[in-house]
Amino acid sequence: MKYFKVSLFIIMTISLLCSTAFAARIEISAPGVQTIPLAMTHLIPMGVGSAQPAVAEEFQQVLQGDLELSGLFDLVDPASFLSDARKLGLRRTDIDFYQWRMLGAETLIKGGYSIAAGKVTIELRLFDVVSQRLLTGRRYMGKLTDVRKIAHTFADQILLSLTGEKGPFSTKIAYISKRTGHKELYLMDVDGYQPIRMTNHRSIVLNPDFSPTRKELIFTSYSKENPDLYRKEIYTGRESRLSLKQGLNIGGRYSPDGREIALTLSKDKNSEIYLIGTDGTIHKRLTNHYSIDVDPSWSPKGNKIAFVSDRRGNPNIFIVDIRTLEVTRLTYEGKYNATPAWSPKGGRIAFARMDNGIFNIFTIREDGTDERQLTFGKGSKEHPRWSPDGRFLIYSADLNGGEKSIWIMRADGTGAKRISAPGGNDSHPAWSGRW
Amino acid sequence: MVSPRKQRWQQLQSVFEPGFKQMLLISVLLHLLLPILYYSPLFPKRAVEKPPVYKVNLVNKIVKNPQAGRPEAAPVKKKPVVKPKPKPKPKPAVKPKPIPVKPKAIPKPKPKPAPVKPKPVPKAEPVKKKPQPKPKPAVSKAQENTLQKRLEQIRANKQKQANEEARKARIAALKADALAESSNIKSPITDAPVGMADGKGDEAGVSAIAHVQEFIQQQWSFSKYQATGNPEAEVKMFYSAEGTLLHFKFIKKSGNSAFDESLLRAIAKSRQLNQPLPESMEFHIFFNLKDMLDRP
Repeated sequence: MKYFKVSLFIIMTISLLCSTAFAARIEISAPGVQTIPLAMTHLIPMGVGSAQPAVAEEFQQVLQGDLELSGLFDLVDPASFLSDARKLGLRRTDIDFYQWRMLGAETLIKGGYSIAAGKVTIELRLFDVVSQRLLTGRRYMGKLTDVRKIAHTFADQILLSLTGEKGPFSTKIAYISKRTGHKELYLMDVDGYQPIRMTNHRSIVLNPDFSPTRKELIFTSYSKENPDLYRKEIYTGRESRLSLKQGLNIGGRYSPDGREIALTLSKDKNSEIYLIGTDGTIHKRLTNHYSIDVDPSWSPKGNKIAFVSDRRGNPNIFIVDIRTLEVTRLTYEGKYNATPAWSPKGGRIAFARMDNGIFNIFTIREDGTDERQLTFGKGSKEHPRWSPDGRFLIYSADLNGGEKSIWIMRADGTGAKRISAPGGNDSHPAWSGRW
Repeated sequence: MVSPRKQRWQQLQSVFEPGFKQMLLISVLLHLLLPILYYSPLFPKRAVEKPPVYKVNLVNKIVKNPQAGRPEAAPVKKKPVVKPKPKPKPKPAVKPKPIPVKPKAIPKPKPKPAPVKPKPVPKAEPVKKKPQPKPKPAVSKAQENTLQKRLEQIRANKQKQANEEARKARIAALKADALAESSNIKSPITDAPVGMADGKGDEAGVSAIAHVQEFIQQQWSFSKYQATGNPEAEVKMFYSAEGTLLHFKFIKKSGNSAFDESLLRAIAKSRQLNQPLPESMEFHIFFNLKDMLDRP
């Protein structure tokens, strides 16, 4: 009996070992499909007599634009939609997921809208077609003019649901435009709609930057002859001069915590990078070199600043440690490297480099390795700035021989598209934080 | 008389601490032991990682023992290496043939001198001139010259056209020849076995593992814009011989919810394989984004 037990134990152990050893090991190091197949149905009227196809059409167009820009999705052709696309059902049990599976969709957006007393209610759902689960759902209420905003907000929500991080579509972009004949500060949506003029200095306004904590902007203006740094509250329109030192007060950039501003001052006859408080008092001088030091850009941790200096001959990007004031060189290639912008995610710094008289956008790791050119072709592309989530870059480009415009692209250089309307000579874009 | 070298050694020995020699010996032995141990099977060495080899399944027939799909692997299995020998023959036979085509084309310049021949044609002109003197009063010398030039031009053009047509005809003939020849060419690897690049078995087709790998990969959709860091996950999947997923288990999740969710979707879509397996099988699958994120 004892022998039997022992032999049984041995046999079982061996069989167990054999069974585990027989598991075939497979490594899958990339997905077969590198986009998410998404089906997006048109909004369907929810109440009787409340149909306004223009509202549904506008919503569809804005949401589709955002989702296409994200690069995440492969939209299923609406022409192939079956009967379920015409049904309002927003509950999981109301949807015929089999139809959507047949079309190859993995995610599905369904929604309805109703309009009453000039107010619109839009109800939206994002479903996982494979597991037949609700991924996210929202009900938005607002004025008829808020439809675009609702679409942008839901696009952010979709990205949050599928990537774990909100999208930047409901944020704002500030830029300088010469639409009125003078360089003035403007604000627009991420897709270039609803541009609003913020200043009327009838002079030259340059280099805007958003406060990360408050709804306000800083910029440089020549309205009082000297290039001074201004602060402007966006909603109240209140404006004040923040730094009016003699000489340059340019390139102001808020620190990630919004407590300090790095900028270039030339009060001592040579342009150097300084840190000033939000009251305009100088906190620290960061550079001390006979060369020209301009265009500061904060690291996301707020402990380093990238800037442009010609201390080694040609303008190149350098990094200064705010605590130790130790300066390290970042770029070695190219004859003219300018306008660095540190990714809010850290890791990479975008900048413009001139080759053969044309600027293009490049990114480089903060340790100076893995440099990549993101833009190509004719026309200069300058002033790159990151979206608050680090997924996108905006920049100004003069592709039409002189007239500049604002463009947006993904952080890997794909999906570039013009967002500012023609005829403005738009430049110096800046992306707001979460709005 | 003690040699100075020995003296120096004795001096050194006086400096040594007692037991130094033994320690030195032990040290030397230990140093010798170290490489012996290192190369012994007691300490297995990590295999050097080879660059990735991409395999494409051209034939999806699942087999247990896939045979080698590379031509060079064929002789290993079938020792009568008679077939590989004729392989080189067709190659040289094919290659030299297109080459002589060019020399044939070289004669082209020869007909070209032909258009030069028209030069002597002017000799014939005086013949014409003779009858022309009759209408001399009507046609001036200048007009004659222009007429002659015009005639020469027409002749030259005609000659050119003729040459061009001849050239086109030759090219067409050459093309037809080449086509006929190429249709006669037989692939030198017609007898090469069909199977996996690393196959060693005796069956034509793709291994079940490779098939399942490709099938699941095709069901997996994930965008690089969803990726954060380098997510990795391990899943065990158990398939019946009919290709039905019996059950699966996450051995290790990536911690990235978007990544893990995409794997769940891929698994759900892989519930049923499109072909049965040779037997019920268990797969230990490692999902990562190495190949996707390495791209610029």
